[in-house]
Amino acid sequence: MNDMRVSESAVGAQDVKISARKVQVFYGENHAIKDVDVEILDRTVTAFIGPSGCGKSTFLRCLNRMNDTIPICRVEGDIMLDGEDIYDRRVDPVQLRAKVGMVFQKPNPFPKSIYDNVAYGPRIHGLTRNKAELDEVVEQSLRRAALWNEVKDRLHAPGTGLSGGQQQRLCIARAVATSPEVLLMDEPCSALDPIATAQVEELIDELRANFSVVIVTHSMQQAARVSQKTAFFHLGNLVEYGETGDIFTRPQDPRTESYISGRIG
Amino acid sequence: MTEQHILRAFDRDLETIQAQLMKMGGMVETAILEASSALEARDDELAQKVRSADKAIDAMEERINEEAARLIALRAPIATDLRMVLSVMKIAGSLERIGDYAKNMAKRSVLLAQMPTVGSAGGSLRRMSKAVVGMLSDALDAHVSRDADLARDVLNRDREIDQMYNALFREFLTHMMEDPRNITACMHLHFIAKNIERMGDHATTIAEQVIYLVTGVMPEEDRPKADSVTSHGVDGAQS
Repeated sequence: MNDMRVSESAVGAQDVKISARKVQVFYGENHAIKDVDVEILDRTVTAFIGPSGCGKSTFLRCLNRMNDTIPICRVEGDIMLDGEDIYDRRVDPVQLRAKVGMVFQKPNPFPKSIYDNVAYGPRIHGLTRNKAELDEVVEQSLRRAALWNEVKDRLHAPGTGLSGGQQQRLCIARAVATSPEVLLMDEPCSALDPIATAQVEELIDELRANFSVVIVTHSMQQAARVSQKTAFFHLGNLVEYGETGDIFTRPQDPRTESYISGRIG
Repeated sequence: MTEQHILRAFDRDLETIQAQLMKMGGMVETAILEASSALEARDDELAQKVRSADKAIDAMEERINEEAARLIALRAPIATDLRMVLSVMKIAGSLERIGDYAKNMAKRSVLLAQMPTVGSAGGSLRRMSKAVVGMLSDALDAHVSRDADLARDVLNRDREIDQMYNALFREFLTHMMEDPRNITACMHLHFIAKNIERMGDHATTIAEQVIYLVTGVMPEEDRPKADSVTSHGVDGAQS
């Protein structure tokens, strides 16, 4: 099946951005991710779907080493970003996370002004030389997150005073302010109403022009709406990975079919 | 996919449109058989019954499409469920067309009943109708039982219908050349034969939908054709 959204995407969109091979994750004794091989494409939205506890968020967190913060967590196998092993000892996780940004389920703005929320990353990474440049980055990021027009007159108001949908877009603006190459989103819309969800989805589709976006979602319809590639996880295994249009019209694995069509699997 | 949905109302909705489609299929099969009996027996009353029954078939198609649209809106079906709903809508469309052909057959048989009989075409047309009803009923059975093999069998049988049509075409042509007074009746009979041949094509389309439902892929287009009338023109019929 031809997915029209794929064919309309930019030329050269099929470059591999992240390549994972034989990835295993253990939480103590618990084998949470088993032998996952996947290639995540540049300038593409990839959706991870699967039942709770299937390992999709765990795997997502491997991609920017968020699991490093969990002492009992052990990651094996190779995860390459542009051909470089992100678990190499010489890689600084903080620098890595500037390249591989993340947006979480619940909007979590810093208890600071809207401006400072977005300026935080560029400041600590020293990405700008003066106030004018920083202002420019903040404005660009807020524009990219489709929030600029709503907040341009109150940039110094607290970020926590925004609505839920605005807060989530603020977090996205914060994530894109460091010019990441990959954006990881862990259920970014689960706390949002349908309008805010649609705005975030529209934003994801726009971000695809510049970034590789990986989104974990419990909403099958959301995965179908925003992604070009879908990966189905089950019990720590990557069961099926393919074009979103194919996964939702003719999945190859009966477990995928059972899950996405709402059957007992 | 025999597993049930977690939400059982979803299964009930799918079963409902499946049952409605089968009911419509039964109505259409009856229409074909009755139209061919009416033709052979010159039974005006039965022909009238077929003509009025077509309204119920049209109404059934509308109902199925409404149900399917409601199911898509409320349940957002995907994968097999989506293919199931799409196939039901398309098959209902094909059945409605077959119903129209049966109605047209009945209309012509009322006219033919007022003319002298020509040859033994009535029997041939009835056999042809029966073969089409067999294809149709197998295609619908294949839909219920998700049987792609049975559907492929139906695809192959369309060739026999085409051959029967070719034979009748030549027969009608011969009658018309023998005696121009046969032309009016033979033209009607030819349209009836062509209608039955088109019914076979629609039964084939239904079988293709079954294969799509079961496998997720539409079968290849180049199925066997035996329609020498359109490929060789009148030459074949004259020889």
